[in-house]
Amino acid sequence: MSALTILLDANVNSSANYFQIGIQLLVAIGIVIVMMVASHLLGPKRSTSEKLENFASGIESHGNARAPMAIKYFLVAILFVLFDVEVIFFYPYAVNFKELGWTGFWEVLLFVAFFLVGFIYIIKKKALQWED
Amino acid sequence: MNAIITSAVCGVIMMFSSVFVENKKTYRHIAAVLLLLLLAVNVADTYGIRLFHIDTKGMLLFDRFGYFFNSIAIASTLIYVVLTGRDIEKVGTYTAEYFVLIFFVLCGVTILSSYNTLLMLFLGIEILSIPLYILTGADKRNLKSNEAALKYFLMGSFSTGIMLMGITLIYGATGTFDIYVTPKETITGQPAIVYSLLESAGLILMMISIGFKVSAAPFHFWTPDVYDGSPGVFTSFMATIVKAAGFIAFIKLFDARADASGVEANAFTGVDWKMLFAILIVSTLLIGNITAVFQQSVKRMMAYSSIAQAGFMLFALFSLNDVAKEGLLLYAAAYSLASIGIFAIMVKMKDHTFEGYNGLSKTQPVLAATNTIFLLSLAGIPLTAGFFAKYYMLASVMKTSGYLWLVIVGVVFAAVSVYYYFRVIQAMYFKDGEATITEEVSKGFKVGIIVLAGLIILFGILPQSLLQWFYF
Repeated sequence: MSALTILLDANVNSSANYFQIGIQLLVAIGIVIVMMVASHLLGPKRSTSEKLENFASGIESHGNARAPMAIKYFLVAILFVLFDVEVIFFYPYAVNFKELGWTGFWEVLLFVAFFLVGFIYIIKKKALQWED
Repeated sequence: MNAIITSAVCGVIMMFSSVFVENKKTYRHIAAVLLLLLLAVNVADTYGIRLFHIDTKGMLLFDRFGYFFNSIAIASTLIYVVLTGRDIEKVGTYTAEYFVLIFFVLCGVTILSSYNTLLMLFLGIEILSIPLYILTGADKRNLKSNEAALKYFLMGSFSTGIMLMGITLIYGATGTFDIYVTPKETITGQPAIVYSLLESAGLILMMISIGFKVSAAPFHFWTPDVYDGSPGVFTSFMATIVKAAGFIAFIKLFDARADASGVEANAFTGVDWKMLFAILIVSTLLIGNITAVFQQSVKRMMAYSSIAQAGFMLFALFSLNDVAKEGLLLYAAAYSLASIGIFAIMVKMKDHTFEGYNGLSKTQPVLAATNTIFLLSLAGIPLTAGFFAKYYMLASVMKTSGYLWLVIVGVVFAAVSVYYYFRVIQAMYFKDGEATITEEVSKGFKVGIIVLAGLIILFGILPQSLLQWFYF
């Protein structure tokens, strides 16, 4: 009950109300610092060459990551991002499908049409053709 | 609204013409026709014929100033495409795509001339810039072109970041993205000093980032390398139409706050916008003009000269009155037309140094004569458009009391600029040499360039012929 009265009477514009938040912030930062320093000081240090290797989901790594790669991969990756973004835009539309009604439908259709135009352009320009 | 949508659609049409049209030479004809259409659509919009009825929720505001600038930009692009279309074909294999990107840039230009919220300003700047990064690196086999593109892209993205930070601060201070903010709309009940500080800081960041886009002096470092490295035809486009659009965006933003640019209005923060712009102007004029004097290559000289001309256009930002807005339009037209002409001749030359122009008057009298007119216009000699453009700029400063020294500085630097513009004229007429051009200039090119020179003289004798249209 007392907590409720505090909430109701609180003057939101006074900085005194932020005191607790400040304490919490300090504690949170303090815990992070203490843990990092403690693990650094207390933990055993045995550095082996395996530990310094790049971790790639447990598979043994071989070769350098900076090897030249065919530009086609890059092109496909970039085009994938574009259409991925298109799909992402459908999620908010799906959520608001009913509220937006027919106007929303036409607008999304326009949006898809633009992408389709781009897609036709890509196909016609043979950007997705894998073999020359 | 007509121009924004039509320019984007024209870009798409160009895109598909690259797929379905085999002949490379037809692209520039298609582009010229589409530009004519775009110009017609924009003029129709000026006279109240709207093709599209879209509720922009106050995010775009179409006024006579914006329409008129659109027409200038589109007409300049048309002249540019007609004159240098043949040279665009020579840059690389993706001829149609270059035109596509030019149309998309124009879409950005038309947004910048009509934005009413900071959101649209940001969008416009991005739509304008991203195709330009690609155009800069259009010459893919050339290392300098690649370097220029990367530099432009990195620095441009960084300045966009600064602009976003500025927009954030202004939004934090005013609670709205609108550019027209009345003081009473700011959040009340809070110490006003915090908000005016935030807003001033935001506006200064905006000034820095748009200053970067128009290459004003402390933010000009990318300009010479990018203009020098990118293919000459695209330098021409970047230095003229795009730069003018940047200035339109600049003046729209600060014109909305014209009443609050004095020292008294900003008593809280102590920011004197007039003085800030005066510093920007003087440093831009100083660096642009003095460095241009020492250049050996005409292309690089034109890059520095574009910085110097930006200094003159900044006078409009300083004074922010009617004469300034009118003058900026005239300046944009005069500067764009003259620079397009100079670049059109330059890309035909084999050697881009001053020596390369030696004796041009004997081998190509028409090119030499028209080039002289363009250079005179840039230098601001009477009877050319450049004179009245500079006159309007200085007159607008004269109307602002207490800044006579700025006018004197402007005149002095205009005199300095005469030196390096006349070096080209001297090389063409008074030095012996064999100025060689890469290919025989066609009769059409000669006619086009004479018409362009004629336009510059027409605007020089009757500047009202251009400005009357503004009031009609």
